[in-house]
Amino acid sequence: MFRVRIAFSKQDPVRWLSHLDTQKAFERAMRRAAIPLAFSEGFNPHPKIAFASALAVGIVSFGEYVDVDLAAAVDPAEVRERLQKAMPEGFGIHGVKAVPPGTQALMAVVNRAQYRLRVPLQEPLDEAVIAAALSRSLAEASWLVEREGKKGVSTRDIRPGLFQLTGSRTDDALILEMLVQTGSEGNVRPEEVLEAVCRYGDLSVDRERVRILRLGLFVAQGERLLTPMDVL
Amino acid sequence: MSPICDISQILEDELLRKVTKPTRYTGGEHNQVKKDWSGVDVAMAFAFPDVYEVGMSHLGLRILYHLINEQPRMVMERVFAPWPDMEKAMRSRGVPLFSLESRRPLTDFDVVGFTLQYEMSYSNILNMLDLAGISLFAEERLYGDPLIMAGGPCAVNPEPLAPFMDLILLGEGEELLPRVLQAIADFKRDAGLGAIAGGAAAAGDDLAERRDRSRREALLLHLATIPGVYVPALYRSEYAADGCFLGTTPIREGVPAKVKKQIVADLDKAYFPTTSLVPFMDVVHDRVMLEVLRGCSRACRFCQAGSIYRPVRERSPETLKRQAEALVKATGYDEIALTSLSTADYTCVEPLIKELIATHAEQKVGLSLPSLRVDAFSVDLAKEVQKVRKTGLTFAPEAGTQRLRDVINKGVTESDLMETVESAFSNGWTSLKLYFMIGLPTETEEDLEGIARLAEQVVYKGTAILREKGMNKSVRVTVSTSSFVPKAQTPFQWEPQAPMADLEEKQAFLKKRLRDRRISYSWHDARISFLEAVFAKGDRRLAQVLHRAWQKGCVFDGWSEFFRYETWLEAFQECGVDPADYAYRAIGYDDPLPWDHLDFGVDRRYLIREHKKALAAALTRDCRADQCAGCGVCPTLGVSIDLRGGDHVPSPDRL
Repeated sequence: MFRVRIAFSKQDPVRWLSHLDTQKAFERAMRRAAIPLAFSEGFNPHPKIAFASALAVGIVSFGEYVDVDLAAAVDPAEVRERLQKAMPEGFGIHGVKAVPPGTQALMAVVNRAQYRLRVPLQEPLDEAVIAAALSRSLAEASWLVEREGKKGVSTRDIRPGLFQLTGSRTDDALILEMLVQTGSEGNVRPEEVLEAVCRYGDLSVDRERVRILRLGLFVAQGERLLTPMDVL
Repeated sequence: MSPICDISQILEDELLRKVTKPTRYTGGEHNQVKKDWSGVDVAMAFAFPDVYEVGMSHLGLRILYHLINEQPRMVMERVFAPWPDMEKAMRSRGVPLFSLESRRPLTDFDVVGFTLQYEMSYSNILNMLDLAGISLFAEERLYGDPLIMAGGPCAVNPEPLAPFMDLILLGEGEELLPRVLQAIADFKRDAGLGAIAGGAAAAGDDLAERRDRSRREALLLHLATIPGVYVPALYRSEYAADGCFLGTTPIREGVPAKVKKQIVADLDKAYFPTTSLVPFMDVVHDRVMLEVLRGCSRACRFCQAGSIYRPVRERSPETLKRQAEALVKATGYDEIALTSLSTADYTCVEPLIKELIATHAEQKVGLSLPSLRVDAFSVDLAKEVQKVRKTGLTFAPEAGTQRLRDVINKGVTESDLMETVESAFSNGWTSLKLYFMIGLPTETEEDLEGIARLAEQVVYKGTAILREKGMNKSVRVTVSTSSFVPKAQTPFQWEPQAPMADLEEKQAFLKKRLRDRRISYSWHDARISFLEAVFAKGDRRLAQVLHRAWQKGCVFDGWSEFFRYETWLEAFQECGVDPADYAYRAIGYDDPLPWDHLDFGVDRRYLIREHKKALAAALTRDCRADQCAGCGVCPTLGVSIDLRGGDHVPSPDRL
């Protein structure tokens, strides 16, 4: 078995694809690119494709990763070139590397996500107001948010899952950049951070019209942030 | 800022995040064709009056989309009915209905062409026109407005839509549609020169409007001379004082008294795209659709498709293999469906299946056969096919007794069915679906009892076989019934539909009768079937009812969660139209029919003969293997049956 790790971006118009649709788009593009997929056994064989993390519908991302099992060894450079030609508009293939046997699963190692949010302002705010709002909210020891799950609404504290937060202003929008926890230890959603900043920092912005960009997914090793490609 | 940019920005910034399944509206699918409009003479929007995932499963769209876009100076873009959540968002933001490819409003197009796949999508047509800001009634539209066109199976009787449509195309579109679009492009070019010349006169608004009207009329008159093009405004329907329909005749000179449907004579040489759009979201038929043949010669008497797609024309296996390979390469799909009205009838089906499997198995590309006959041969084919991927099996005996199956000319015997079922269970299937119709002409309680009895026998047979094989699994049989709808251009067009109360009683009977936990029973809403019957055989007077029902909020009538029967009844009442007159009236052989001026090639005398034979439960044999039944299609349309397997004859159950 031969496994490759693919780094890709997802922009307009495919940012509206669900996780499942994205999976299908990869499978079909691999077939169009004549890259031999490895399949599961059974009545309905399916390809073995594993994403680092599900990306919510509507979010643009510059740093997504997927591991794909191939039925035969193919030069990663060739996979990259052929796959890029076969992908629908809006997907960019940024790198392909062979995954050595025994490497930990992508999903198990990715634990940080970096986001940039752009939120239209509802009233003119200067940088100082934004900075003050951020420090006010960061001073709170816990950020409680409500999350709707299968068993109803639960309350969680997302403050421990926030590792970096900066804010600035462009034109008439607030820009927030954040590094948050993701993966098996739990996910912090960027909208939740925005909600908390608005609440604890007493900021008024048009949250309905937020644009979210995922800058990347990372593997935090102590103080160091590595990309899933770096760890190979 | 141009409106195109506006639409796109409002979508991306505000609307898409609020709606379910946003990829219904984004476009951008692999193999989408995005043309530069500056080099184009004529632009058409293909409008499917249902939601994206239904429309994208339509083979006709896939063929015509690539056909038209391959013409250097034509462009075709797509538009579907927005789901109500999106419609609401669009209306509240003032976003007009737009095409997926360029996100242009429909008013930018020369032609908006609706495909008429089922009667219950008609209210969506009005809703889409309204959402596009286009006048609903043809007579209110001016020269600069898009031409509203329709085609597809329900064009067999488009009369309930007549006042809304500028032109209707009868028959197959591969040759007809480019011809019509070219004629529109030519007319526009010539009229354009005239407009510049006359523009200096600085015409007043009234004058300009009159000029536009007459120009539009000239265009429609011109188009009406193209064989296969029906312009409803150039015909008048007359009714007697008692409301009886008298006939439809042309009101202008040079307009044909009968419009004849157009078909392609050689399907093997007909256009078929070697590329195909690949939707992102799940659509109903999400696979390569390979059309192996067109038409069906089995002559089931209820079947409208059997009438309107005649005669049988096959593609050669060489062509199909080439197309399959190209399509898999172009799409990356993992399944190829061999589509037609009856794929097991394809004279080269066995070698074709074997070769397709051999070619594509390594890439794990499976085959599927969506329409199978009730015979052991079909099970053999299905067995062959499921070597790559396991698929379900569905058979349609249609009726519960031999007598009634003879009435509908379904030439399937009980022993055929039991043999088929035995073969299916022996070959590893544990669940089957059986389709029946209720409310067929001459149906009695015995026929209904027959449905239940057949289902039970299938269960017993299956259980015995599974036990013999030492399998612990239980058999599952799904029985599904739809209600018979009499349709235009079939031998049953003279028949009334069974009263709704009777249909509901029959459903209740079967529900009670099919109590075995190994059998599940599902049925279609009889109220929807009733409206289908009304519109399938309706005349122009139904247009006002449709308009009224839409005004009262009816959309997506084919979807049970939106179907509002009471509202429909109110609309009928307000318009003074009795739906029962259309659904329940037995039509005399000499009565004029609302679709008499549309010639589908099927001889009226043949339909009468078949109707009489039906009532006598006498069979008509398959014209491919036996003598010609005299339906009239081949001589009228100047074509003939075209089989590729030479000496092959249909399976012996029909002989």
